[in-house]
Amino acid sequence: MILAMSRVRILGPRPKLAEVLGALQDLGLIHLAPPPETSVLTPVLTSPREERLRLRLGRLLEDAAVAGRLLEVPPATPAAKTPLPLPRTVRLIVRARREGERLVARIESLEEEQALLARYEAVFQAFEPLLRSQPRWASGRAYHVVLRPGQKEMVARLRSELGALLGDAFEIRDHPLPADETALLILVPAHAAPRVEQWLAAGRVSEVSLPAGFAGKSLAEAMPAMQERRRQLPAELAATRRARAEAARRYGPLLRQGTGQLRDLLARLEARDLSRVTAHAFVIEGWLPSDSRARVARTLERDFGAEVVLEEVAQDRWTAETAPVVLRNPRLFRPFELLVSLVPLPRYGSIDPTPFVAVFFPMFFGLMLGDIGYAALLFGLAYLLRRRSAGEGWRRSVAEILIACACFSGIFGALFGEFFGDLGRRAFGLHALWFDREEAIVPFLILAVSLGAVHMLLGLVIGAVSAFAGHRRQAIGRGLAAVMLVLVILALLASVEVVPRGLLTPLTVGILVIFPIMVVVEGVVAPVEFLSTLGKVLSYSRIMALGTASVMLAVVANEMSGAFGSVIVGVIFALLFHLVNFALGVMSPAIHALRLHYVEFFGNFYSPGGVAYRPFGHGTPPPSRAT
Amino acid sequence: MSIWIPLAAALAVGLPALATAWAQSRIGPAGAAALAEKPELTTTVIIMVAIPETMVVLGFVVAVLIMLRGGA
Repeated sequence: MILAMSRVRILGPRPKLAEVLGALQDLGLIHLAPPPETSVLTPVLTSPREERLRLRLGRLLEDAAVAGRLLEVPPATPAAKTPLPLPRTVRLIVRARREGERLVARIESLEEEQALLARYEAVFQAFEPLLRSQPRWASGRAYHVVLRPGQKEMVARLRSELGALLGDAFEIRDHPLPADETALLILVPAHAAPRVEQWLAAGRVSEVSLPAGFAGKSLAEAMPAMQERRRQLPAELAATRRARAEAARRYGPLLRQGTGQLRDLLARLEARDLSRVTAHAFVIEGWLPSDSRARVARTLERDFGAEVVLEEVAQDRWTAETAPVVLRNPRLFRPFELLVSLVPLPRYGSIDPTPFVAVFFPMFFGLMLGDIGYAALLFGLAYLLRRRSAGEGWRRSVAEILIACACFSGIFGALFGEFFGDLGRRAFGLHALWFDREEAIVPFLILAVSLGAVHMLLGLVIGAVSAFAGHRRQAIGRGLAAVMLVLVILALLASVEVVPRGLLTPLTVGILVIFPIMVVVEGVVAPVEFLSTLGKVLSYSRIMALGTASVMLAVVANEMSGAFGSVIVGVIFALLFHLVNFALGVMSPAIHALRLHYVEFFGNFYSPGGVAYRPFGHGTPPPSRAT
Repeated sequence: MSIWIPLAAALAVGLPALATAWAQSRIGPAGAAALAEKPELTTTVIIMVAIPETMVVLGFVVAVLIMLRGGA
């Protein structure tokens, strides 16, 4: 359900504004909203010093976020208990960011160096045998080049050119590289160097360039040094990463504490912007759950006596659109709030669909999966997920939703007599308590469509009830649509003699009477909308389609065990196929059950557009983002 | 059983399956592009992708009914 909210106004002497805001922040219950504009009330003026402080706080929070990211501060780091003085917080954040930037820059530079040297590995290997002959030419000039694929014929040309020029006073050695490249070592006397360089330039062949740290050295000199450096790098990198982890441990708790303090301070400044003042008094307005109003009033009275007053703003002075929304449901239904939160929040004053989702979503899911074996598997996985998720996070909600789905799947599995498809029937003589989905396709289809009719009818009734207070005409339209739906279903049942055939005439008369009334109330769109409602009812036949597909695939998986000659191979294939079917059997029903809710069911009554309730407190978003 | 009954059932599920595939092939990339810019649209996109499946689901139901009524 959507919790009842009260709009409250807090009045007090102007000098007490900061203190009152502090008390409200400690309470963490009020969702601040600016009071209505009047000529008497003015916003609190911000001094240049405060403006500078606000900018500084913004920058410091950014610094803290960057420091946390760079140092990889784990989210579970406990916050330091003792509050820090502000100057120390500032120093700490600045120091943490600098340290983080230094360490991350060092890690990145080492990683880059490591990657660069790794790229030279192929060159090292190719030139190592060639370089052994280099000392003979200590007074000459050596060129180390890598020829691209297709350039290999250049070697013969160079050899003949240099032979003509130098006789045998040169050496060319080549070594094949991966990807059809060729490592080439050219050794010539110093006076022949310009000729070789000219040839290299003409052939668009460049020498192997060395990393920046080894520039100015020959490849023969640089290679041992580069290999030595490559051996040292992993240890250096590990040491720097350890230093970063150590910094994260050292700064983490204080960083989180400091960030929290700065956020609170910024939130108080922003909360002050939402307050209004006169020459002597202040006014704060906001929303809080009606059942918390007395508690807030008591706290203010205890802390400030009669100087500060809390009063409730009469309901006729505000509109439901502006009130924030809090969903509060019984423990059993609460995990399903996650499914409702995937669509925009319902508007205040409308109906929270969570309880209906909590009943129908697992039911539809169970009808589609409907297998004791798969249900047990799903239950096990969901239970593990629940055990691993602490607190009230979304993972726990997902686990609890899956547990509910597994329970319904198990119940329907027993009713349909399915245990990994027909395995239960073959191995343990399991029998369907209700009907066998493999055979009774038409009864299953009737069940799915009937459930659809009930679900849609419920949606129309909820829509009529929720619209009754504000939009009487719409409420009557939805009510008439619900009655028409019942009459059409009964008429269809009478035509196939499920209910007495004699009722067909009065039911048809009823339809003919209500139809023009619907057109009068809702206009010409009414018949179109009613046809769309009938289409939506038929859409529930997907429950039968997916359910039948699921059981058929399970049966095929069981057939596989005897289809491969070898029992072991057959069983392995059967298990793999069951695994695929299980994955499909969880994904598909979840998506389609969601769709049946969001598109078919919610379409009848859901009115989105609610404002999320974000109370002004410690560690909550700034009030400016809440309004 | 006449050859026309299984053929009709195959067409009843096959043609909507092609239509669904075509619709999803258009919705999928558009949804992925929308998600790249607005990840908060995940639910809407999942529903959008699931909407054309109604065609093949109903086609499957009709195909089953054709086979059953045809005496398969």
